Amino acid sequence: MRSPSPALAVPAAPRARRRPSPLQLLLILCLLLAALALASASSGAVRIPLAHLADLWRTPADPQAAFWRNVLLEVRLPRVVFAIVVGSGLAISGAVMQALFRNPLAEPGLIGVSLGGALGAVGAIVLGAQSLAIIAPAAFVGSLLATGAAYRLGTVQPGVANLLLAGVAINAICASVIGVFTYQATDVQLRNLTFWNMGSLAGANWSMLAWLTPWVLLLSILLIRDWRALNALLLGEREAQHLGFALRRLRHRIVILCALLVGPLVAVAGTISFIGLVVPHLVRLTQGADHRWLLPITLAGGALVMTLADWLARMIVMPAELPIGIITAFIGGPFLLWLLTRRQG
Amino acid sequence: MLHAESLACARGERVVLRDISLTLTPGKLLGVLGANGAGKTSLLATLAGEIPAHGGSLQLDGRALHAYSTAELARRRAVLPQSPSLSFDLGVREVVAMGAYPFGNLPASRLETLIARVLALADATVLSTRRYLALSGGEQQRVQFARVLLQTLAARAEDEYRVLMLDEPTASLDPRHQVQLLQGVARIAREEGVASLLVLHDVNLAAQWCDRLMLLTRGACVAQGTPREVLTPENLETVYGLPAQVIPHPAQADTPLVLFASRVEA
Amino acid sequence: MRSGYFRILPALLTALCGALLSSPAPAADPQRVVSLGGPITEIVYALGAGDRLVGADASSIYPAAAEKLPKVGYYRGFAVEGVIGLQPQLVLASDQAGPPAAMAQLQKLGIPVVVLSAEPTLEGLEQRLEGVAKALGLGNAGHEQVARIRAEVSRLTQTRSKQSVLLLSAHSGKLQAAGEGTAADALLRLTGARNLFADKGYKPLSAEAAAALQPEVIVTTTLSVEANGGIKGFLAQPGIAVTPAARNGRLVVMDDLLLLGFGPRLPEALRELQAGLAARP
Repeated sequence: MRSPSPALAVPAAPRARRRPSPLQLLLILCLLLAALALASASSGAVRIPLAHLADLWRTPADPQAAFWRNVLLEVRLPRVVFAIVVGSGLAISGAVMQALFRNPLAEPGLIGVSLGGALGAVGAIVLGAQSLAIIAPAAFVGSLLATGAAYRLGTVQPGVANLLLAGVAINAICASVIGVFTYQATDVQLRNLTFWNMGSLAGANWSMLAWLTPWVLLLSILLIRDWRALNALLLGEREAQHLGFALRRLRHRIVILCALLVGPLVAVAGTISFIGLVVPHLVRLTQGADHRWLLPITLAGGALVMTLADWLARMIVMPAELPIGIITAFIGGPFLLWLLTRRQG
Repeated sequence: MLHAESLACARGERVVLRDISLTLTPGKLLGVLGANGAGKTSLLATLAGEIPAHGGSLQLDGRALHAYSTAELARRRAVLPQSPSLSFDLGVREVVAMGAYPFGNLPASRLETLIARVLALADATVLSTRRYLALSGGEQQRVQFARVLLQTLAARAEDEYRVLMLDEPTASLDPRHQVQLLQGVARIAREEGVASLLVLHDVNLAAQWCDRLMLLTRGACVAQGTPREVLTPENLETVYGLPAQVIPHPAQADTPLVLFASRVEA
Repeated sequence: MRSGYFRILPALLTALCGALLSSPAPAADPQRVVSLGGPITEIVYALGAGDRLVGADASSIYPAAAEKLPKVGYYRGFAVEGVIGLQPQLVLASDQAGPPAAMAQLQKLGIPVVVLSAEPTLEGLEQRLEGVAKALGLGNAGHEQVARIRAEVSRLTQTRSKQSVLLLSAHSGKLQAAGEGTAADALLRLTGARNLFADKGYKPLSAEAAAALQPEVIVTTTLSVEANGGIKGFLAQPGIAVTPAARNGRLVVMDDLLLLGFGPRLPEALRELQAGLAARP
């Protein structure tokens, strides 16, 4: 994860790798994140003389300074914070699902959890919901149902293929129902759907971040607290039970926590794939699968990758923007292929 | 103590255990022998509290086993199932340390001492800095064994009753490590008074290391007692469907040696 | 994450305290204008104020000069900082422009935004024209255009067509029919012709449904025809091939923005559509 373009950081052959200590890695990532967030916040279509950042506040009356201040505070910072929150939330949910399914390819996008959330959100919008206070819970319900279905279908037989096939089916079902909803939608609803569907970070604003940030933080803490249980699940479901983790309760709790995390993220940012797949994988490659460290490092890594993707999305076709999903898929698609061929080999 | 009386168990419609009575005595090894599908693994799962008993009684220290929570049980008994499958990249020490999970936060130094001790018992000390996935099958088995040993020994009060259950623990081990593993079990049984239940395939290994043996056929107990009492040609033929001779062990007194027929009668 | 959260807290507080929400009044005669929505851009040019545009959205493809403007993304998902970076004194936005959060941010930053109805009716068009003229400080220019358009349209609508028509677009290879409430439908109504597709809005149409509707004439857009390999390819699509329209070669192809924009070129569009409907193969 030291490389700024993580998808290219192919690990060396399985000879003994020198691993940085987890705390070191976490620290490095946080520093990188801080640097990247700063870089991202200081670049954009509006040129702000950041060398004189302090002056922007020293001259409160100057309209130009006020304008720059506002661009910084109302446009850029919320966007950067949003990227951090969404990235870390998606990444940790991916890591946790991989443990739950005991399957390194479990990812909210691939197994249908994101599209399930999307279905919930679209359903709410078509039924007339406008406020996130309704759309987000609806997305949660959609995610929950999809996760439950993926779990039921994907663990009938062990192995990666079964889960992925279940994901294909769930995604297909969700997409078709979304299609039906879209067909039924009125003009106003269609308009809301279009905005929502654009699935980007453009919706960033402080009033939304004011609840989303603590929400993601809280759920991340709850998930990190389960690190022992998640480690035990890696051994196997029977083994986890032998180690004192009541399996049904544990499964239910993790499925619900994941849906509580992914649902609202989908409701505010749309379906952004691959972050939940790529980031935990890279962290495992450098650090191993011990969730005590994997989860916090994944949080930082997810924030880092998402901030980078958002930065690129904003800069490449300036003054327009690329949809962030294009960037993450551009990184994630080849990564998934690489993983699949590697597993076969 | 873990005590079963007229235990019965069914999986779906199929009765897998009937009328099993046994006691796991502190400091003693009970070996369970039987042909494939005789119910050995079901017996272990029932005694571990994993699947419910359908009849008879099953008690741990005088209290019904099903009245214990999953977490409580984990502090009293450790189980090593057959062929554990771990496909994620963990360090050997991380895997072994999982044995301490039921006990919450142990002081780091105590945990370190324990890990060192169980690694030694499982002859896995040299593996301690390796990655689990880079180990051979037999090495992985030893690491898993160290993990359940840790669970058996962690935070144990003086004279606290603990049970160790192993399902075919020697299956993927070479002869030296088979002996070493059983020696380790016997040692903590002797030193710590741990009660052990071992499902085994190798009759002679069982005869050599177990204090008592139980022979299972189609879910029922054929015989239970010391190896000498139990390992008779008649019992062995009932259990395995293969004629066998039992002779005194040339090197170890009081230990029977079983020689199975070299061909199956048509 | 914890560190990230605490790092933004001060910024959050500053932002909450310093949020200015006053809706700014546009300058009387704004010289730097960004337009969000192809029909709006077209109106700005029609009013002779094209030189004031410093940016537009990706759907602004008419007139040719509009294509050279810096683009801030598609108007339904425009890049807010892209707009701000062009330092506009005025943003003219279709009411379909968004996302809402981006619109709110423009307001918050003190950039005057005038939102214009996208409704495909004569009244809607008048509102747009007059709204844009007023926002640009162009006085009567809007009225004049409206009067011209009204006069031409009422003259043109004296000729009535009676054909049964299917309005189709096929940009991504999938057929979509335009129903009630769409700009294409509104234009068709002015000719008197009958839209065979009774549903509301743009809806996907199966090949079989297209065949079953038996349109006498099919009206589509240049881009749709291009996407299907020319007129031949378009008419050869399954379902379409068996309609009377395809058999008789009755396909009317119109520029996308002309057919769908409901803009100042409305009389021109109407004339072209009428001519297409009246043409004998």
